[in-house]
Amino acid sequence: MVDSLVDLRNIERYYEMPSGVVKALDGINLEIKSGERVILLGPSGSGKSTLLNCLSALDSPTSGEYNFLGKTVPNDNSESMTSFRRENIGYVFQFFNLLQDLTVLENILLIQELADERDDNRAKKLLKLVGLEAEADRFPAEISGGQQQRVAIARSLAKKPKLLLGDELTGNLDSTTSSMVMKVLVEACEAEDITCIFVTHDESLIEYATRVIRIDSGKVISDTNVE
Amino acid sequence: MRTRIRLIAVTLLVTVGVFGGVAFASYAHTASQMYDDIYADTENGLNLPDIWIENPSGVWSEEESSILCQKINQLFLDQSELEFKECEPRLKREGIMFHKDSEGKDTIVPSVWHGIDEGNIDRVWIPNHPLASGVEASNDNEIVVDSRVATGMDISIGDSINIGSGSGSIDFDVVGIGFHSNHLYFAEEGSLFPAEPGTLATGYLTSEGLEKLANLDSGVANLLLIDIHGTPDYDLESTDEVEGQQLSSLLEKINSLLGVEDDNPSSAYSRSKVSSVELLRLDADGAMKTYVPVTAMIAIVAGITIFLSLQRLVQSQAREIAILRTLGIPRRVIIPGYILMPLFIGFIGCIFGSILGLTIGGPAMLGVYEGTLGIPILEPANITPIVFQISATAILVVLFSGIFPAIQSSKIQPLEILRGQHEIRISSRRIQRFTSMFPSTVGLTIRSSIRKPVRLLFTFFAVGLSMLIFGSIMVMMESMEDSIVGNVRDRQNWDINANIAPSGEQEVIDWANGNGANYELMLQFPATIEGDSRFITTIGLDEISTDTNSMYGVNLKEGNIPSKDSEITQVLIDEGTQFFLDWNIGETQKIMFGSISKQIEISGITQGEISRTIYFHRHDLSPIIGLEATSVLIGLPEGAEMNNQLAELSIGISQKQDTISSFESILEQQQAIFGSILALGLIIAVVVLFNTLLMNLSERDSEIATLRVLGAPIKRIGSMMLGEHLVIGIIGGISACIFTIAGTQLLLSTFLTWSFYLTVSLNLSVTLVLVGTVTLISVILTPYGMWRISKMDLVEKIKDFSR
Repeated sequence: MVDSLVDLRNIERYYEMPSGVVKALDGINLEIKSGERVILLGPSGSGKSTLLNCLSALDSPTSGEYNFLGKTVPNDNSESMTSFRRENIGYVFQFFNLLQDLTVLENILLIQELADERDDNRAKKLLKLVGLEAEADRFPAEISGGQQQRVAIARSLAKKPKLLLGDELTGNLDSTTSSMVMKVLVEACEAEDITCIFVTHDESLIEYATRVIRIDSGKVISDTNVE
Repeated sequence: MRTRIRLIAVTLLVTVGVFGGVAFASYAHTASQMYDDIYADTENGLNLPDIWIENPSGVWSEEESSILCQKINQLFLDQSELEFKECEPRLKREGIMFHKDSEGKDTIVPSVWHGIDEGNIDRVWIPNHPLASGVEASNDNEIVVDSRVATGMDISIGDSINIGSGSGSIDFDVVGIGFHSNHLYFAEEGSLFPAEPGTLATGYLTSEGLEKLANLDSGVANLLLIDIHGTPDYDLESTDEVEGQQLSSLLEKINSLLGVEDDNPSSAYSRSKVSSVELLRLDADGAMKTYVPVTAMIAIVAGITIFLSLQRLVQSQAREIAILRTLGIPRRVIIPGYILMPLFIGFIGCIFGSILGLTIGGPAMLGVYEGTLGIPILEPANITPIVFQISATAILVVLFSGIFPAIQSSKIQPLEILRGQHEIRISSRRIQRFTSMFPSTVGLTIRSSIRKPVRLLFTFFAVGLSMLIFGSIMVMMESMEDSIVGNVRDRQNWDINANIAPSGEQEVIDWANGNGANYELMLQFPATIEGDSRFITTIGLDEISTDTNSMYGVNLKEGNIPSKDSEITQVLIDEGTQFFLDWNIGETQKIMFGSISKQIEISGITQGEISRTIYFHRHDLSPIIGLEATSVLIGLPEGAEMNNQLAELSIGISQKQDTISSFESILEQQQAIFGSILALGLIIAVVVLFNTLLMNLSERDSEIATLRVLGAPIKRIGSMMLGEHLVIGIIGGISACIFTIAGTQLLLSTFLTWSFYLTVSLNLSVTLVLVGTVTLISVILTPYGMWRISKMDLVEKIKDFSR
């Protein structure tokens, strides 16, 4: 059995800019085990979002090795990268990105359908898990921001991902709603046995993590287990 | 990039609209002016008669003609409004021409010969143009052939041609190539379509020459041409009003005189009854009526596209406008930009459209006109003021399209935009309930399609308009083919229709018997309605039958076949007659054969006749007009062919196969024009649909990016997109069908006249072509949409999401 879920070896991501080459990731080495809840902290431009993009196979590293459950993650074909995301990754956006034309329940069902795994019971169970069973038939515009983010969490769990990624997922919420969303997220991930990696500026979210990694100038500057 | 493409596309639409308008206007004005010049009583004109008096059943002697002319002159003197100028007797005969075609095969061509003596009225027109040459015939062995005969049968001045008119055949020397008012539109009598080269001949001889050809006494005539000082107004058949009251009243008096003075069922009529003159007038009139609506229609489509694009622009620039408004910029500064843009587009489109219309479109249309009709255009009309009128119409329409988006931009609430509230929308609960029965992917597809109902409605309206011209012409052509070819092909089983001189049937019957052919006699005679000067053709058949195997079957729409020997003669009328006169089954009406009045009872209505027709039993019609038959319908045995002997016995021959081939050939000739109209409609529909679908796609970028980030495969998104485009295409196609029906009805209402009646219906094949074409255009965008998604930079999109 592979203990390591994510294994990054000397990951580099460079961008050619008119002003010269920008090193967004500069030799990142990381190993993340199943069940961990990792928080990536760092100032703007430190490379944490680029790392998240590489982890989700939205972006390909310029060099280095990225293994997921012991297998190399595709990095040269848009469709195989999409398949990788579909099969392994859940994603929660800062601005929720729910489809406005679909109801809360349909937003979850759609993701299942796209993966050919429609399961109405699971969708309802996930809504119950995030405390929104009663809002199933409402449109996103009819519920609050916090509720929308909880729907987005339920949606990201809909197809049982192995890794859940969040990009400033509480960045658009007030502190009370943030902690409520994070509690829901932690409970859901524990219930579903899902590994999480969140990018944030918010130091207060450390209490929900099992591990905190700080990044600056494309390098890991600290890596601490919290528990 | 997309904005630039959209800008080019809408400018192109305005260009196309103005181009079409200028091209049509050039044609319409040139044709109208040209006909006036040709018919004028000038040195270069042919001096069109004002009144024709025709004797369809025989001839007048020289003395009879002279007396009639004197009495008619007297009628003029009895009234003060119109001044008599001249009365000229003429002889006009149907006949045949023996000709060797380009492959050396002997052919017999149905013909019309004119004996033109003094030639002060209705002269042969030999303009100074490459299509005409030579001089008028001055000896009894000379002939001027029509220009279309010369080109279609490769005849030149100096050639000798062999012709006949029911009494053997004679050679004539060709001394000129010209035109005549009766055949300026070169078609067989009663036909709406130009004759195929080599299928019709007309020639203009001296009166002595034609008398010799037809073996008639010297000085005989069957036509009196009357010229009036000036050009009096005449009654148009295409309107219900009486435009030429004075001439109409004079015609009534002449017809009464003919009833008293002439034993023949002769009648007097104005130029509106001369089919060539009337068809060309209708054509020019139709083009004149059409070019402004066509320009306006394309400009409206361009306007809708501009309106939708500007609306999208306002939407995408909402944040910038909100910031400007927050900084205190007044509304009046924001509005002009959205008004000036369509004005600029309209201006550029008008310049390009006018230049292309004047240099390419107009000359091309006139070229097609000259090529198809063979009428020489001596001088194209000056349409400079019309170009300004068309451009002003186009600019006005596109300017109007910018007003609403401009007002919309000025009403933007900065706070709402900066808070992002404008992006929040709640879908229709009713649509959600309806689509919740489907999978979420399907529900999303449907809801996304109708997310912007106003835009979609405008798009369907514009697509419908852009397909209207193409659809209408297709429906009209199908209907005409059904009426003209369909009736002849499916219900008539004669091979040859041999026209005969009075009492000339027996020799043709003998020929038929001698060649093992079937035959039936047919009587065809013009009549008028009591109190109405419009002509109606009466047809007397040996057997009136709906049987498709009969020699001349009718298509009975309702009612019964007439009974022979009824107390009141029973007849069938065509549905056009029913439509115009509101005659119905069971009614009795009066019709006039010259001055002879006859009461008839309507037993049924037929369909498929383009011109007005009444069917009699020949047995009932013959005693009224004193003729047994005017033609013999002959069904040839297999392998048998018409020969010269039959041609010499007849005064005109038409073959069923020629009628069918002639129409099919016309359709073939029109392919280029139809192709252009099709391309025009398609280009506009493509621009309109692509504009809307591209806007839909770009508006959904963040939605699609979200799905891609969450792992949705391109194929799956592609199939959702395909579904959406399919639905939009099908609805657009249905809209095109609705517009086509409405457009055709509108087109028909300008076309329908006493001598041209047609019913149209949208059949399955046209419906499929329209729906299929629009659907295809819509669906074609799917691969582009998928390509766009595959090129989508998800990392950039994620960054956008976080902003």
